[in-house]
Amino acid sequence: MKLLPEQNTLLEEKTKATIFDIQRNSFVDGPGIRTTVFFKGCNVRCAWCHNPESQNFKKEILFYKNKCTECGRCKELSVDNENFFCLNEAKQICGRKYTIQEVLNEIMKDKAYYQSSGGGVTFSGGECMLQIDFLEEILKKCKENNVHTAIDTAGNVPWESFEKIIPYTDLFLYDIKCFTETLHIKGTGVSNKLILENLKKLSDKSKGDIIIRIPVVSGFNDSAEEIMHIANFLKNIHYRDIDLLPYHKMGAHKYEALGIECTDYYIPEKENIKKYKHLLSL
Amino acid sequence: MNERIEKLVKKTVAGEMWVEPVSTEYDKKDLFLSPMKMSGKRVCEYILNQEPLILEESCLTGLIRFDDSVEGDVFNRSGHKNFAVAYEIFYLHPVDNLLSFEWQHSVGDFFKVIQNGLNGIKNDIEKSKTAHEGDESAIEFLDTQYDLCNAIIGLAHKASQKALVVAKETKNPEYQKNLMRLSESLKKVPEYPAESFYEAVLSLYFCYPYIPDSIGLIDRYLYPYFRQDIDNKIVTKEEAASYLQELFLMLQARKHISEDTFHRGGESHFCLGGYLTNGEDGFNDLSRLIVEALLELPTWIPQVSLRWTEKTPTEVLRFMLNCERKDPNKRIAFVNDEPRLKGLMNHAGLSFEEAVGYTMMGCNELALPGGMVFGFDPMNVVRSVENTFYKRSDDLVKAESFEEFYAIYEEELFSDLWEVERISKGFQNIRSRDCNIVSNIFLEGCIENAKSCTQGGLTRYIAVGLPIGLSNVIDSLAITRQFVYDEKRVTMEELICALRNNWKGFEMLRAEILKRGNFFGNDDSCSNEVAQKLMQSLEKWNNTENYLQKKWLFGNLIGYHPYHKWFGEATQATPDGRFAGDMVNFGIGQTQGKDRKGMTALLNAIAKCDPGAVLTGPSVTNVLLDEQLIKNDDHFEKLVKLFETYFSLGGTHFQLTYVSKDDLIEAQKTPEKYRNLRVRVSGFSDYFVFLNEGLQNEIIARTKHTS
Repeated sequence: MKLLPEQNTLLEEKTKATIFDIQRNSFVDGPGIRTTVFFKGCNVRCAWCHNPESQNFKKEILFYKNKCTECGRCKELSVDNENFFCLNEAKQICGRKYTIQEVLNEIMKDKAYYQSSGGGVTFSGGECMLQIDFLEEILKKCKENNVHTAIDTAGNVPWESFEKIIPYTDLFLYDIKCFTETLHIKGTGVSNKLILENLKKLSDKSKGDIIIRIPVVSGFNDSAEEIMHIANFLKNIHYRDIDLLPYHKMGAHKYEALGIECTDYYIPEKENIKKYKHLLSL
Repeated sequence: MNERIEKLVKKTVAGEMWVEPVSTEYDKKDLFLSPMKMSGKRVCEYILNQEPLILEESCLTGLIRFDDSVEGDVFNRSGHKNFAVAYEIFYLHPVDNLLSFEWQHSVGDFFKVIQNGLNGIKNDIEKSKTAHEGDESAIEFLDTQYDLCNAIIGLAHKASQKALVVAKETKNPEYQKNLMRLSESLKKVPEYPAESFYEAVLSLYFCYPYIPDSIGLIDRYLYPYFRQDIDNKIVTKEEAASYLQELFLMLQARKHISEDTFHRGGESHFCLGGYLTNGEDGFNDLSRLIVEALLELPTWIPQVSLRWTEKTPTEVLRFMLNCERKDPNKRIAFVNDEPRLKGLMNHAGLSFEEAVGYTMMGCNELALPGGMVFGFDPMNVVRSVENTFYKRSDDLVKAESFEEFYAIYEEELFSDLWEVERISKGFQNIRSRDCNIVSNIFLEGCIENAKSCTQGGLTRYIAVGLPIGLSNVIDSLAITRQFVYDEKRVTMEELICALRNNWKGFEMLRAEILKRGNFFGNDDSCSNEVAQKLMQSLEKWNNTENYLQKKWLFGNLIGYHPYHKWFGEATQATPDGRFAGDMVNFGIGQTQGKDRKGMTALLNAIAKCDPGAVLTGPSVTNVLLDEQLIKNDDHFEKLVKLFETYFSLGGTHFQLTYVSKDDLIEAQKTPEKYRNLRVRVSGFSDYFVFLNEGLQNEIIARTKHTS
């Protein structure tokens, strides 16, 4: 049967995803030793995002001007050429299409390490749930191969997307940026209504296989009041743990390389982090 | 650490425990004797003339040193005149940019002495004399060995008298008691069997100078004495630890404070744990005490390796790794019994019961108790790649597949291996012109065969070969396969031309190779398969038709000197992007920043590359770690699992290096060598060399030295 052009696109979305990095040996994206798959594209624009190259769904170029020697080679070769590379690494291509088999092959290389350490694979981003069909398929494959799965999400997706992947997901790493809706819109460009609703539903369904992740950003949510709101909301949520993620400025050079303006926030005081941990009963 | 040991530590690190050799006058008429008799007579006179160091804090004694006036121990080879000639000509001067000349390691069978005493060995000598009746040279040799035993016993009696004198002089009643016990004990050991833990350690301490390389598996052979004395409350754990610490301080004191090696942990290496003959894991409560006692000392020597087995509890690996991360002097490394025993059985031809007795020593060599390591010293294996591309180019251009290309390479590899066998045999012939006297009684076979260990008496030896630059070879072959045969990106003619021009005019090709080449350590199928193929070639060549009549175990360490640099300086450009003159790699864990996929990829590649366990000789895997990984307790716990998995997959060795300030500064200057240096803090990660200067400086400011 011949497929219509739009069916072809749909099939490709199901079997290919745009991914900007697959990082093996990750110690920070969930329990044990993990492989983290970073999907490209996000529908939340956190002003403090340390991976700005993850936001756009399309392949893009990071340009580190200080490394460029103006050799001109990049003008001769198209960046769409798979073999393109910059000698000086001044231009770095971010993102490419991966098939399910390619991603699975990469994940399976470290299976022995997952098994010994209680680790597995974490799908992150960007927002991995925005390429939900691919995600569902790769999760199924992971479970067929007895690999522990985790989803790192901002939660700003239709509930139906969660329903698709819950059966194959062992752990959700779920971000709460703040509780106050107006503040959320100001800091991320979107409302948190859907995010909080989804978390509530997920909590009822997944019975605590959730780790809440709260970025603490001075100039945004770094206040006892905001943290108290979150703490109150979490009283009705089943979760395993809460990670506080203090803001840092280490993504700043990437903004410059992408030609995007970087909003300046401040690193929270260590004392504040201690205080918030107390408020969250950590 | 008790107050007595604290005092000894101060003296040791100040160099005050150094024992100067006492020069000895010999009778001119000795020259009328046969060479063997003269050597034997003079060695005994020399030993009896020495003054073992006894301080008021001493519980143990026996450290002496040999000068060049007699043939000393087989490790240092002082007074070995033929060795000295070879040293002058060949040491630090590789032959044909192929093979260097080095010392040889040995491990005394100290348990035999502790258990039987030197009197037991004298009985063995008497038996051997009966067996060799009528063989004059054999009897002559055995007489020297009998006299040697008596000389060591005589020195013990002399030291006993001296301990009595020091005891009378000291005002500290505890020290006086210790010295009185030392004096009494020296009348018994090492002449007779030791009966207590203290006597066993004293016997070991006293005999060590006659074969001063490794103390071997002390947690195994001292354990019966330790267990018995602890159970019978004859010794406390604290007392046992203090004897061990005094033993370790003697090992440190053997090095003069002015020598580079005083601060270098590359000698007096020993092992803990490992399989016992009954198939169980040997790590015991004495093993734990030994490490704890060692780490209390702020010294550099000895170093110790944990022998891991599949039965080693995770808690033991965690304990040892935790000791490692707490040790600023970095004295701890890790080896895996699983591939090594396979190598020792399949290639060295040992039984399981024999193989489990091995110990690590030196930098990372191995031997059995009462055994030595023979074979060839650091070899430039990259020369075989050079020969392939520079001397066989006419054949190469005709090769239509990687298999055909590889067959040509393999011929060159085998040709070089036979050449090093020939040179190595030459070195061994020179060494065998000396007759060692003082180490034989601690080595297997010398008494039975009535021959010196330097002259064919030794029966317990392992043959090893050290091909340096293995990862350059793997990379060069993998790049050739990828670019010439798989992708057809370049022709063989172009690649040969690029190499002959030292990449001049081919800068783009070289950059592309470095950027997307299948280099070893990335766990890709191309480099993994090529690595396995190379190991299979080593296995294929391995044979007993050589001068040692044993198969070799291969390794990749270089000892103290930068042979990898010297070999590289005289080696032309290679397909892995190496310029002519660039250093080659030693060890199997370092690929100069070309391993880009993280630690699991690197460890997987290493663990998979040698299923035949041919690379289980003196192998080294250096792992460079982000300091935060080792400092942070959560991350540390994952590291324990990481390395446990690496060993369960078949890795032979690892030793850890953390990112220091110096490394980071160097990474700024030469980023191409530090491409895999990853910095990660709370979810954000990037390669250090990709960060801007300001950020790099910030991270440099936060990173501390760890050693």
